[in-house]
Amino acid sequence: MPRLFVDNREVEVDPGATILDAARKLGIEIPTVCFLKGYEPSTSCMVCVVKVNGMASLTPACGTPAADGMRVESECDQVRQARKAALELLLSDHVGDCMGPCHVICPAQMNIPLMIRQIQQDQLRDAIVTVKRDIALPAVLGRICPKPCERGCRRAAVDEAGEAVSICLLKRYVADVDLQSPKPYLPACKPKLDKRVAIIGAGPAGLAAAYYLLQEGIDCTVFDDHDKPGGMLQYGVPEKELPRDVLAREVALIMKLGARFQGQTRIGAALSLEDLRKDFDAVFVAAGADAEPMGLTTSANGIAINGDTYQTDIPGVFAGGDAVRKRRLTVRAVADGKEAAASIGQYLTGRTVTGPVKVFNTRIGKVRDDEKDAFAACGSDERRVILSHEGNGFTDEQARLETSRCLHCDCRKTDNCRLRQHAREHGARATCYKGERRPFVQWVQHPEVIYEPGKCIDCGLCIQITAGAAEEFGLSFVGRGFDVRVEVPFGRSIAEGLKHSAAQCVAACPTGALAFSK
Amino acid sequence: MDELDLTFVDRVVERLGTAAENVLEILQAVQGHFGYLPQQALERVCRIAQITPAAIVGVSTFYDQFRHHPVGRHVIHVCVGTACHVKGADRVYEAFQRRLGIAKGDDTDANKMFTIEKIACLGCCTLAPAVQIDDVTYGHLSPDGVSTVIDDFLRYERSRAGRGRKTSGPRIESSDHRGEIRLGLGSCCVARGSGKLRDALEKALGDTGVKINVKRVGCVGMCHQTPLVEVVMPDNKSFLYAKVLPQDAKAIVMRHFKVDGTTRRISNSLSQVLDRILTDEEPAPVTRYSINVRDKPVADFLGRQKHIATEHHGVIDPVDIDEYLSHDGFKALEKCIREMSAEDVIAEVERSGLRGRGGAGYPTHRKWSAVRSRQADEKFLVCNGDEGDPGAFMDRMLMESYPYRIIEGMTIAAYTVGAGQGYFYIRGEYPLATERISQAMENAAERGFLGDDILGSGFSLHLKIVPGAGAFVCGEETALIASIEGRRGMPRLRPPYPAENGLWGRPTLINNVETYAAVPWIIRNGAEAFASLGTSTSKGTKVFALAGKVDRVGLIEVPMGISVRQIVEDVGGGIAGGLRLKAVQVGGPSGGCVPAELAHLPVDYETLQSIGTMMGSGGMVALDETDCMVDIARYFLEFTQNQSCGKCTFCRIGTRRMLDILERLCAGQGGKADIQELEDLARMVQATSLCGLGKTAPNPVLSTIKYFRDEYEAHVAKRCPAGKCKALITYSITDDCIGCTLCAQHCPVDAIAMKPYQKHEIDAEKCIRCGTCKQVCPAEAVKVQ
Repeated sequence: MPRLFVDNREVEVDPGATILDAARKLGIEIPTVCFLKGYEPSTSCMVCVVKVNGMASLTPACGTPAADGMRVESECDQVRQARKAALELLLSDHVGDCMGPCHVICPAQMNIPLMIRQIQQDQLRDAIVTVKRDIALPAVLGRICPKPCERGCRRAAVDEAGEAVSICLLKRYVADVDLQSPKPYLPACKPKLDKRVAIIGAGPAGLAAAYYLLQEGIDCTVFDDHDKPGGMLQYGVPEKELPRDVLAREVALIMKLGARFQGQTRIGAALSLEDLRKDFDAVFVAAGADAEPMGLTTSANGIAINGDTYQTDIPGVFAGGDAVRKRRLTVRAVADGKEAAASIGQYLTGRTVTGPVKVFNTRIGKVRDDEKDAFAACGSDERRVILSHEGNGFTDEQARLETSRCLHCDCRKTDNCRLRQHAREHGARATCYKGERRPFVQWVQHPEVIYEPGKCIDCGLCIQITAGAAEEFGLSFVGRGFDVRVEVPFGRSIAEGLKHSAAQCVAACPTGALAFSK
Repeated sequence: MDELDLTFVDRVVERLGTAAENVLEILQAVQGHFGYLPQQALERVCRIAQITPAAIVGVSTFYDQFRHHPVGRHVIHVCVGTACHVKGADRVYEAFQRRLGIAKGDDTDANKMFTIEKIACLGCCTLAPAVQIDDVTYGHLSPDGVSTVIDDFLRYERSRAGRGRKTSGPRIESSDHRGEIRLGLGSCCVARGSGKLRDALEKALGDTGVKINVKRVGCVGMCHQTPLVEVVMPDNKSFLYAKVLPQDAKAIVMRHFKVDGTTRRISNSLSQVLDRILTDEEPAPVTRYSINVRDKPVADFLGRQKHIATEHHGVIDPVDIDEYLSHDGFKALEKCIREMSAEDVIAEVERSGLRGRGGAGYPTHRKWSAVRSRQADEKFLVCNGDEGDPGAFMDRMLMESYPYRIIEGMTIAAYTVGAGQGYFYIRGEYPLATERISQAMENAAERGFLGDDILGSGFSLHLKIVPGAGAFVCGEETALIASIEGRRGMPRLRPPYPAENGLWGRPTLINNVETYAAVPWIIRNGAEAFASLGTSTSKGTKVFALAGKVDRVGLIEVPMGISVRQIVEDVGGGIAGGLRLKAVQVGGPSGGCVPAELAHLPVDYETLQSIGTMMGSGGMVALDETDCMVDIARYFLEFTQNQSCGKCTFCRIGTRRMLDILERLCAGQGGKADIQELEDLARMVQATSLCGLGKTAPNPVLSTIKYFRDEYEAHVAKRCPAGKCKALITYSITDDCIGCTLCAQHCPVDAIAMKPYQKHEIDAEKCIRCGTCKQVCPAEAVKVQ
């Protein structure tokens, strides 16, 4: 029974155990991407490297036998740097988008592909949850948003007519169906925290901030110099573009969550920012384009803030929306409200104020001419649905048809990709190493499984599985070195390669290379 | 696709066996037959053998040797070995592409006449840059000369066809049983200012009516002694002639082959040569049978050398077992078997200080005792002859010239460790070595030095040759094992080491060709004699392939501890052309550069390692001031990156990203941060790669950054001080131009307008920087900046 030390802690393991086994026995988590218990370690990803007996070179913990008297370091600088480098190298050769380009480009970072699939599957209740997770006023934005998401939509880049998916109308469809339902969606709120926030300005930024702060159990009072909430939505946008009843119904839902609206109250001489700071635990300044600085430091764009946290130079005072930006976009204002709410929540609960958690993302980037067909493989050939009458939204049928045009650019394993998980944990930079991008390829012949070779890290788990399952063709490494790929032998289809072991391969695949298509 | 006749496949599988481990040999046979691997044939193999589609596809796409598409009628191999690289192989390759109209990314011309391929090393560094078209080698090529080469080859082909000889078919032919004349290095003769030798031999054969082949073969040593001619007799006896002149041809033919009287009379009635021969005049070249060591350059070349692995070089007939026996052959084996216990042998090897000659320098006795101490029902022995470094062909020379010595060393090792079955893994590109080892194995078995009950001792050893299929990584011992087992040559994590868990899970001893070759000498002459050579940690001798910019290139065996400078100056005759030594690249793609200012250091394992290089398998390339060190680093990394098996992230992607940076630098697109990023990444790859290939791949990069950082910085500033990197240089014509129009005539892209008696000008837009104008200019009026 070998006894060894991992990070100076002694452990005894069974003969034949690896360093990884020893560390796990001690509860020490060594990250692995290519390793899966029950399979031969491929020692390929090298994310699990550790330092043994002070030697200059590192060794993969998953495949190195634990030996008596060994001294293993799993957390020293060299190890951490090597892990990060391994992840960054893998990412430098990773042809995949964690999140769809539409999702990334949306200022509010709404998960558009997910919403589209929920519409497709007739899960409209789930769809509105998805939408309102990031956009507090979707019915409003569904009418007036300049839709940057559709400029990012890959369908537009590969579509013969250059037409994006009508994301904005789909979002409007989801929101309208919800608003017209007997019980429109109201998110659950956490228990009250006994914290109060004053929000100056009842425009899109202020309302959005209220919507998300209330969900965190934080009381909100929204001050506005007008008598109705909505800011420029109420007083700036033409009625033709935004019927006021839509605005009223969406705002009403925020009020229903518990927001207090105090109209006809100008923050200035009578009630100053200082007064609010005394009465409230935090202040969010979202007073729009013409906001007075109220003693806050300003920049060329308006009130000066920390771009990540929305903090102004006065402690406890945050600012967002048109008050802090030159380029004015309602969807940006709504996003500011959401993000500032995250910072304010952190501030009020005594955490370090960092702003919203940054998600890790890799991106493919520009589509090349010869890749259009490959990208188009998962969308229908339908043309963009034309509305029967300007100002109308989609009918149920039209919405379904339009969703079929979505190409499913986001990764099918965003939440359980081990590469993404460790990249996030190790602060790996996806674009650290620049190299020529491989062509985008996806194999779609299998009824249930999609294979994207660009996301494969060559761990060979699927090859082990197909060999064990006695597949007639199975999978094999093809080529060597940097050009090695996992393919079905003899140019057979993925359906022929994975007759019996598809589900097992998908489960084992550490990335989104092999995934269920739905 | 047309139906292929697959009965051949059935026959091959029947002959070689249906076991999975035979996959490499089956694939080699199939390719030999069809010229490539048709998918139908592979599918057939899967149906009738125990080989799965996944296995056959995995293996056949792993090794460079295998082609999956039909090739042109002739294959042009452009050698891109180190020596050829520094002498412009890339430009030659591009010139062939241009001449044949082959688009970038493609490899075969429209008429399916020629397929062009780069090959890691043809092993004829003296001819650099060299190409091989089918079995014909051409040397000292220039971009301007490729048309001449193609024309010459086609003419030669027609003349071969006219005489009813085979014009195509498998390029690895067994030797003609009527005997043959081999031109050493193929066209050493052609390249070395004696192109008429071939014609002369052909003519001599025609005149004398001797019906044998003149075949071009690879190098057997003494490169600067070319042209070398080897006469191989029907019984496989061979004779070697150096520096042969065309007028010697007939005499050579007459000496060895029985001339048909009738034919002679009819075809040569007017021949003066015949008269000479009939008067029994002693043919002059016969005295060259043994290379004359009194020649001044030869004496210098040999003076510093010490021949152990290459003992009796130049005088011994490689496959004549009686000759080997008469030179103390198999005496060491006899001594071991009759007088020594296994422990005695190991102790002797230990005292000799012998260390692995494959590169890493692991003490040989330790491997031997590790395998010996293992209890197992079966143990194996492997000889690693998968030499794959560009610019290294020591092992090939040893295998071609001293097959018995290696076999004797292996037999002693097998006797010592208790192995009953051995494998001789020989690089596929070495058909001659394979042929000779195979012949030598047969002869040795006949005389009782191999096979069952060797020398009546009860000890048996059976050897099998496994031809490699072109994967540098298979030099790594665990990859080599995978390859012998019929799998992709992927290394695995050690431990366990092969001594414990090797071939088919059994204890396995793996040593390099040169290591085995040194063993008989040690046993015969005693460990002390071996240990008296060299330094405190590195004993004995080391064989190097000396190439690059020295005057006398070739294969040398020198005592350890000799300085790099002594090798360059004394053995190599100094840098050619009056230029200065800049650095010596030691150890090929795993090694690094020894800069001129450190050339006084001794060649031993530790010293080389301490300055960032390594012994490696023995490539040694001298570089002069016209060589760009960034380009050299890029060159080696391109090689290792291409040869990475692809298993671990750091080697698979890390080396690619390093190469990306080097390519950027050489293309003048480097940024300030690139050098640091390259260095950091190189250290990461070095420390974290799984096997030796990845761990050593950064050496050429790190050592050039260490000693020639200023050149890297110059490249960031878009300057190539040596004038090598194409994107960073321009060609222009100075006032020295005499208006001869030669440059304009030879420019392949019409970048120079013809202006007789006027100063010419180069259109920088059109110029492809092939260097032809500089080469042809008689007035040295072409300037590179």
